[in-house]
Amino acid sequence: MIEPFYEAANRWVRSIRKEPIETTWARFSCLGLTTFGGGVAMVYLFVLLVDPFDIIPFSLPIERPIVSISQRYMYPMVIRSRRYDSFVIGTSTARLLDPERLDHLFGTRFANLAMDSMTAWEQQKVAQYFLSVIGPPKVLIVGLDLVWCQRDADRARVTFRGFPGWLYGDDSWSAYLHLLNTDTVEIAVRLVGYRLGVYPSRMRDDGYAVFTPPEDQYDLARARSRIWGIRGPGIRPVVPAVELSAEQRAALTFPALAWLEGLLEQLPATTRTILAFMPVHVAGQPRPGSEEAAFEQVCKAEIAEIGRRRGAVVADWRIPSPTTRDDANYWDSVHYRLPVADHLADQIARAARGYGPDAEPTYRLLAGPDPSDRTH
Amino acid sequence: MLFQSQGFILVFLPSLLLAFYAVVGWPAGRQWVLIAGSMFFYAWWDVRFLPLLLGQISATWILALIGARLGSRLPLVVGIVLNLASLITFKYLDFLLGSIEAATSITLPRAGFVLPVGISFFSFQLISYLVDRLRRDAPIYPFRPFLLFVLLFPHLIAGPIVRHHELIPQFELDPRRAGGAYRFGVGFVLFTIGLAKKVLLADALAEIVDNLFMREQIQALNFGEAWTAALGFALQLFLDFSAYTEMAIGIALMFGLLLPENFRRPYLATDLRDFWRRWHITLSNFIRDYLYIPFGGSRKGPARTVVAVLASMGLCGLWHGAGWTYAVWGLWHGGGLLACRAWQRVGRPLPGGLGWLLTMGFVLVGWVVFRSPDFTTAASILGSLSGYRGMRGTIGSPKLIAAAAAIATLLPSAYEMKDQWLRPQPVVAIATALLAIYCVLVVGVGGPKPFIYFQF
Repeated sequence: MIEPFYEAANRWVRSIRKEPIETTWARFSCLGLTTFGGGVAMVYLFVLLVDPFDIIPFSLPIERPIVSISQRYMYPMVIRSRRYDSFVIGTSTARLLDPERLDHLFGTRFANLAMDSMTAWEQQKVAQYFLSVIGPPKVLIVGLDLVWCQRDADRARVTFRGFPGWLYGDDSWSAYLHLLNTDTVEIAVRLVGYRLGVYPSRMRDDGYAVFTPPEDQYDLARARSRIWGIRGPGIRPVVPAVELSAEQRAALTFPALAWLEGLLEQLPATTRTILAFMPVHVAGQPRPGSEEAAFEQVCKAEIAEIGRRRGAVVADWRIPSPTTRDDANYWDSVHYRLPVADHLADQIARAARGYGPDAEPTYRLLAGPDPSDRTH
Repeated sequence: MLFQSQGFILVFLPSLLLAFYAVVGWPAGRQWVLIAGSMFFYAWWDVRFLPLLLGQISATWILALIGARLGSRLPLVVGIVLNLASLITFKYLDFLLGSIEAATSITLPRAGFVLPVGISFFSFQLISYLVDRLRRDAPIYPFRPFLLFVLLFPHLIAGPIVRHHELIPQFELDPRRAGGAYRFGVGFVLFTIGLAKKVLLADALAEIVDNLFMREQIQALNFGEAWTAALGFALQLFLDFSAYTEMAIGIALMFGLLLPENFRRPYLATDLRDFWRRWHITLSNFIRDYLYIPFGGSRKGPARTVVAVLASMGLCGLWHGAGWTYAVWGLWHGGGLLACRAWQRVGRPLPGGLGWLLTMGFVLVGWVVFRSPDFTTAASILGSLSGYRGMRGTIGSPKLIAAAAAIATLLPSAYEMKDQWLRPQPVVAIATALLAIYCVLVVGVGGPKPFIYFQF
């Protein structure tokens, strides 16, 4: 149907141009290739100049706030800003620890570098990068989760999200090969939008963002259904409880703990290190008496031992406690609410001084300094 | 190196084009440029396979030469056996051992060879040349063009399966001959269309399809999910493979070479024979000329035809992969072709719409078997497809499926575009370039994903 119109249009175009079809095709190819080549070059140059990850030496000297929620890509920039002397790593269970509150409690400048579903390997990579760029932190808080106790941690090093090692100093030259894609273009456009006042930053410069819904939208009934799922409320211990033999305990290996100890080994005595098991709801903790619970106890004991060896405070909020038993403290079985985060920050500061819980038994101090030592 | 990778599009292809056109007036020079580029392209995957590839090509050429000098057919037969032995060793040995083990309960060791990429394609091309020599239907070519005939990187990994007489004479033709700018421009457009089909549609479908087939291993799919998986894979396979073909034809055109057509909108076929005239045309032709006709074809009685069709299509299935699901897929199509032939003999053609529905239903069932890792999975999905487990669920990602279906059926084939549709209009050149830029940026996220047919 359209064919005759095409033919007529082309005859018309050719009659105007008075040029042979071969020349028209030559112009077509030149136009196509020039547009393609020029377009790619312009997009690449735009990304290099805006430099969404602040890694290009000759990029424009502009302010680069965090305009993307891709934490694995944005947090290296937080470190490279050199504005912080202390940091938090961990998973989403440590993301709500507010650096400004921690600054007040510890007298430091904190960045919160905890990321969603961050593996132990990723956490130690981020920490190593901080050490390589800034040096030993004044305070390091490791928000411990089961990722440190996974027995396949050395095989499952990254998540499906991938981990951009090139942003963490693995190979800075290869960064140039990773910048030509829709993600970087999008972030660069957002940065320009921020400069023009049409796009807001997505996180504070210290990496902190409240990822949970607004507190005024909290619905306890919905939270309970998420916490307990279809099985309904209540913890049913495994009876009889699993008891590991000495051989079984000796055979257990936790590959990530070698990375943890390797990290602590690099820290000088002036760095205050707090290894804090995060307060997961009891529904998210292993059933008492189960094999998982027995494994977790062995892992916790090993971490406590590492803490003792390396002079770190080890405190455990991942226990049945008034905090972790109260459904009203949680959005789901893993994520606590904002007021809990503030209280947790206060308790971490207390544990760092070697004190146990002040009123309710919300945590256990597994390793720490003598409270009478007030040098910190 | 994948056609849609940034390294290929932004570095390898432009560099090779520049080198090629720098020596374009010197036939031997431009052939050596293509040979060197093709060897680099192949070695990028795994340099260990390069000696195997070069060894098979050299052995085939030397044996053909010896056969010609001695006037003997024996070296040609030896060459065919050698190529088949290589294919069987690398692709089918473990499958055969596993099948023997399953049948006899005797535990056998496994070779565990890594499958050299493209081995099915280049082995078939070499065998076809030797068979043509046996039929006195192929000359002895000089080594350089023969080497390039097999090595030429656009078709080396996943076809189209090119016959010697289709390609080797083209090497002597000057790319600057009349129509050079037309070939280059059309090549650029075809490459970009293939790139977009692969990156924007086939890869997006792959995520959905892979998830569903993986989930089937844990829990049976419901009606909607099964239809999503089957339709999604049917569209993914076509878009992925035809995209590769379009990119291959497009690249070859930029070098002044014409590769044969491989697809002609197969999902518009109204009967199964029509489908095979439109689907993977170069493989269909190969099977017709080198299996079906030697097995007896249709001229030695009905019984011989049945054997020829089933044997040819069974082997066609096994060519795709070392697994019984592939063989059954081939036999399923063999049975369908025989039924189609019988019905056409009756002389009462079905209405177009009904014929299309029956053909697509038949093809879809075949694709489920083809994609499934085993017969249990295939049977389970087919059960869900038929509504055996109820009619719960709806088609997932309907917009993507609809867009993919529209492109698969409405977009003209590479040859249709080349010969009938493309016009040298500025707006087309700019739109093509912008589409190519967008695809290059999309590929940059997470890297390129391999084409399905690379595993065959």
